[in-house]
Amino acid sequence: MSFIAGILLFVVVVGLVDRRLPWPSVKQQEVGKW
Amino acid sequence: MVAGHFGFAAMVKSREKSAPLWALMLATVWLDIVFVPLVLTHLETMQTIHKGYGGLLIHADYTHSFVGMLGLSAILGAMFLRAEGKRVAIVIALVSASHWVLDLVVHRPDMPVFPRNLGNLPYFGFGLWNHPPVAACVELLLVIAGAIMYWRAAMGVSAKAGKGGTLASVSAAMIAAFGVLVLALDYTS
Repeated sequence: MSFIAGILLFVVVVGLVDRRLPWPSVKQQEVGKW
Repeated sequence: MVAGHFGFAAMVKSREKSAPLWALMLATVWLDIVFVPLVLTHLETMQTIHKGYGGLLIHADYTHSFVGMLGLSAILGAMFLRAEGKRVAIVIALVSASHWVLDLVVHRPDMPVFPRNLGNLPYFGFGLWNHPPVAACVELLLVIAGAIMYWRAAMGVSAKAGKGGTLASVSAAMIAAFGVLVLALDYTS
Protein backbone atom coordinates (compact mmCIF):
# COMPACT_ATOMS: atom_id res chain seq x y z
CA MET A 1 0.00 0.00 0.00
CA SER A 2 2.91 2.36 0.69
CA PHE A 3 4.07 1.74 -2.89
CA ILE A 4 0.66 2.80 -4.23
CA ALA A 5 0.59 5.82 -1.91
CA GLY A 6 4.03 6.81 -3.20
CA ILE A 7 2.84 6.57 -6.79
CA LEU A 8 -0.24 8.68 -6.10
CA LEU A 9 1.91 11.25 -4.26
CA PHE A 10 4.21 11.43 -7.28
CA VAL A 11 1.26 11.97 -9.64
CA VAL A 12 0.06 14.84 -7.45
CA VAL A 13 3.51 16.47 -7.12
CA VAL A 14 4.52 16.18 -10.78
CA GLY A 15 1.01 17.25 -11.76
CA LEU A 16 1.33 20.41 -9.69
CA VAL A 17 4.76 21.22 -11.19
CA ASP A 18 3.46 20.52 -14.70
CA ARG A 19 0.48 22.84 -14.18
CA ARG A 20 2.85 25.77 -13.69
CA LEU A 21 4.21 25.34 -17.21
CA PRO A 22 2.64 27.50 -19.94
CA TRP A 23 0.93 24.65 -21.82
CA PRO A 24 -1.60 25.76 -24.44
CA SER A 25 -5.30 25.52 -23.73
CA VAL A 26 -7.49 23.13 -25.69
CA LYS A 27 -8.69 25.99 -27.93
CA GLN A 28 -5.14 27.16 -28.65
CA GLN A 29 -4.05 23.65 -29.57
CA GLU A 30 -7.08 23.06 -31.79
CA VAL A 31 -6.51 26.24 -33.82
CA GLY A 32 -2.85 25.33 -34.22
CA LYS A 33 -1.37 28.32 -32.43
CA TRP A 34 1.15 26.00 -30.82
CA MET B 1 4.71 -2.38 -14.97
CA VAL B 2 4.21 1.08 -13.52
CA ALA B 3 7.22 3.03 -14.72
CA GLY B 4 6.61 2.14 -18.37
CA HIS B 5 2.99 3.30 -18.17
CA PHE B 6 4.08 6.67 -16.77
CA GLY B 7 6.70 6.97 -19.49
CA PHE B 8 3.99 6.48 -22.08
CA ALA B 9 1.83 9.13 -20.37
CA ALA B 10 4.73 11.60 -20.66
CA MET B 11 5.03 10.75 -24.36
CA VAL B 12 1.34 11.50 -24.89
CA LYS B 13 1.66 14.78 -22.98
CA SER B 14 4.39 15.88 -25.39
CA ARG B 15 1.93 15.44 -28.28
CA GLU B 16 -1.33 16.48 -26.58
CA LYS B 17 -0.09 19.55 -24.78
CA SER B 18 -3.46 20.70 -23.46
CA ALA B 19 -4.11 17.44 -21.59
CA PRO B 20 -3.12 17.67 -17.89
CA LEU B 21 -0.17 15.42 -17.10
CA TRP B 22 -1.68 14.24 -13.83
CA ALA B 23 -4.82 13.12 -15.69
CA LEU B 24 -2.75 11.23 -18.27
CA MET B 25 -0.77 9.52 -15.52
CA LEU B 26 -3.96 8.67 -13.68
CA ALA B 27 -5.39 7.30 -16.93
CA THR B 28 -2.40 5.15 -17.66
CA VAL B 29 -2.78 3.28 -14.35
CA TRP B 30 -6.58 3.55 -14.16
CA LEU B 31 -7.12 -0.19 -14.66
CA ASP B 32 -4.69 -0.93 -11.83
CA ILE B 33 -6.37 1.64 -9.57
CA VAL B 34 -9.71 -0.14 -10.01
CA PHE B 35 -7.87 -3.45 -9.62
CA VAL B 36 -6.76 -2.58 -6.04
CA PRO B 37 -10.19 -2.65 -4.33
CA LEU B 38 -11.12 -5.76 -6.29
CA VAL B 39 -7.98 -7.48 -4.97
CA LEU B 40 -8.78 -6.36 -1.44
CA THR B 41 -12.26 -7.89 -1.79
CA HIS B 42 -10.82 -11.02 -3.47
CA LEU B 43 -12.82 -10.51 -6.66
CA GLU B 44 -9.48 -10.39 -8.47
CA THR B 45 -6.29 -12.06 -7.29
CA MET B 46 -2.55 -12.29 -7.90
CA GLN B 47 -0.55 -15.49 -7.99
CA THR B 48 3.20 -15.48 -7.43
CA ILE B 49 5.07 -17.46 -10.09
CA HIS B 50 8.49 -16.49 -8.81
CA LYS B 51 9.93 -13.80 -6.58
CA GLY B 52 11.04 -10.53 -8.10
CA TYR B 53 10.23 -8.49 -11.17
CA GLY B 54 7.44 -9.82 -13.37
CA GLY B 55 6.81 -12.80 -11.13
CA LEU B 56 3.06 -12.44 -10.98
CA LEU B 57 0.18 -14.13 -12.73
CA ILE B 58 -2.71 -11.71 -12.39
CA HIS B 59 -6.25 -13.00 -12.29
CA ALA B 60 -7.91 -9.68 -13.12
CA ASP B 61 -10.81 -10.99 -15.14
CA TYR B 62 -12.84 -7.80 -14.77
CA THR B 63 -10.43 -4.86 -14.91
CA HIS B 64 -7.95 -6.42 -17.34
CA SER B 65 -10.40 -8.11 -19.67
CA PHE B 66 -10.55 -6.46 -23.09
CA VAL B 67 -14.23 -5.53 -22.73
CA GLY B 68 -13.73 -4.45 -19.11
CA MET B 69 -10.88 -2.21 -20.26
CA LEU B 70 -13.12 -0.61 -22.90
CA GLY B 71 -15.81 0.06 -20.30
CA LEU B 72 -13.44 1.45 -17.66
CA SER B 73 -11.66 3.63 -20.23
CA ALA B 74 -14.98 5.02 -21.47
CA ILE B 75 -16.04 5.78 -17.89
CA LEU B 76 -12.77 7.61 -17.16
CA GLY B 77 -13.00 9.59 -20.40
CA ALA B 78 -16.59 10.55 -19.56
CA MET B 79 -15.46 11.75 -16.12
CA PHE B 80 -13.16 14.29 -17.81
CA LEU B 81 -15.57 15.31 -20.57
CA ARG B 82 -17.08 18.35 -18.87
CA ALA B 83 -13.88 19.69 -17.33
CA GLU B 84 -11.47 19.09 -20.20
CA GLY B 85 -13.60 18.89 -23.32
CA LYS B 86 -14.16 16.18 -25.91
CA ARG B 87 -10.67 16.02 -27.37
CA VAL B 88 -8.84 15.63 -24.06
CA ALA B 89 -11.50 13.22 -22.74
CA ILE B 90 -10.95 10.97 -25.76
CA VAL B 91 -7.18 11.17 -25.30
CA ILE B 92 -7.57 10.20 -21.64
CA ALA B 93 -9.79 7.25 -22.58
CA LEU B 94 -7.23 6.11 -25.17
CA VAL B 95 -4.37 6.43 -22.69
CA SER B 96 -6.36 4.29 -20.27
CA ALA B 97 -6.79 1.71 -23.05
CA SER B 98 -3.03 1.83 -23.69
CA HIS B 99 -2.57 0.21 -20.28
CA TRP B 100 -4.13 -2.99 -21.63
CA VAL B 101 -1.95 -2.92 -24.75
CA LEU B 102 1.28 -2.45 -22.77
CA ASP B 103 0.21 -5.12 -20.29
CA LEU B 104 -0.54 -7.43 -23.21
CA VAL B 105 3.15 -7.32 -24.11
CA VAL B 106 4.51 -8.18 -20.67
CA HIS B 107 1.80 -10.31 -19.05
CA ARG B 108 1.76 -14.05 -19.29
CA PRO B 109 -1.52 -15.21 -20.85
CA ASP B 110 -3.83 -14.01 -18.10
CA MET B 111 -5.91 -11.33 -19.82
CA PRO B 112 -9.34 -12.46 -21.07
CA VAL B 113 -11.54 -10.92 -23.74
CA PHE B 114 -14.72 -10.78 -21.67
CA PRO B 115 -15.18 -10.19 -17.92
CA ARG B 116 -14.96 -13.46 -15.95
CA ASN B 117 -13.73 -14.96 -19.23
CA LEU B 118 -17.26 -15.48 -20.49
CA GLY B 119 -17.28 -17.91 -23.40
CA ASN B 120 -14.05 -19.52 -22.20
CA LEU B 121 -12.03 -17.80 -24.89
CA PRO B 122 -8.21 -17.97 -24.73
CA TYR B 123 -6.37 -15.66 -22.36
CA PHE B 124 -3.95 -13.18 -23.91
CA GLY B 125 -0.46 -12.06 -22.96
CA PHE B 126 2.82 -12.23 -24.86
CA GLY B 127 4.76 -13.04 -21.69
CA LEU B 128 7.73 -10.68 -21.87
CA TRP B 129 7.87 -11.01 -18.08
CA ASN B 130 9.33 -14.45 -18.72
CA HIS B 131 12.44 -12.51 -19.75
CA PRO B 132 12.78 -9.97 -16.91
CA PRO B 133 15.89 -8.13 -18.18
CA VAL B 134 14.29 -7.59 -21.60
CA ALA B 135 10.99 -6.43 -20.08
CA ALA B 136 12.85 -4.07 -17.74
CA CYS B 137 14.79 -2.62 -20.70
CA VAL B 138 11.52 -1.97 -22.56
CA GLU B 139 10.15 -0.18 -19.49
CA LEU B 140 13.34 1.84 -19.13
CA LEU B 141 13.16 2.87 -22.78
CA LEU B 142 9.57 4.05 -22.28
CA VAL B 143 10.61 6.09 -19.24
CA ILE B 144 13.63 7.69 -20.91
CA ALA B 145 11.82 8.35 -24.20
CA GLY B 146 8.82 9.78 -22.32
CA ALA B 147 10.99 12.08 -20.18
CA ILE B 148 12.96 13.33 -23.21
CA MET B 149 9.85 13.94 -25.35
CA TYR B 150 8.14 15.68 -22.42
CA TRP B 151 11.24 17.83 -21.75
CA ARG B 152 11.50 18.92 -25.39
CA ALA B 153 7.79 19.83 -25.51
CA ALA B 154 7.93 21.64 -22.16
CA MET B 155 11.04 23.59 -23.21
CA GLY B 156 9.26 24.53 -26.43
CA VAL B 157 6.17 25.96 -24.76
CA SER B 158 8.32 27.72 -22.14
CA ALA B 159 10.41 29.38 -24.85
CA LYS B 160 7.31 30.48 -26.76
CA ALA B 161 5.93 32.03 -23.58
CA GLY B 162 9.23 33.82 -23.00
CA LYS B 163 10.01 31.85 -19.86
CA GLY B 164 13.11 29.99 -18.80
CA GLY B 165 13.39 26.24 -18.98
CA THR B 166 14.08 25.51 -15.32
CA LEU B 167 10.58 24.33 -14.49
CA ALA B 168 10.43 22.22 -17.64
CA SER B 169 13.74 20.59 -16.75
CA VAL B 170 12.69 19.98 -13.14
CA SER B 171 9.43 18.39 -14.23
CA ALA B 172 11.12 16.17 -16.83
CA ALA B 173 13.84 15.20 -14.36
CA MET B 174 11.17 14.19 -11.84
CA ILE B 175 9.51 11.96 -14.43
CA ALA B 176 12.82 10.32 -15.34
CA ALA B 177 14.03 9.95 -11.75
CA PHE B 178 10.75 8.56 -10.45
CA GLY B 179 10.43 6.18 -13.38
CA VAL B 180 13.93 4.80 -12.86
CA LEU B 181 13.38 4.58 -9.09
CA VAL B 182 10.09 2.69 -9.43
CA LEU B 183 11.60 0.37 -12.02
CA ALA B 184 14.61 -0.29 -9.77
CA LEU B 185 12.37 -1.01 -6.77
CA ASP B 186 10.17 -3.21 -8.93
CA TYR B 187 13.14 -5.09 -10.40
CA THR B 188 14.86 -5.70 -7.07
CA SER B 189 11.70 -6.55 -5.11
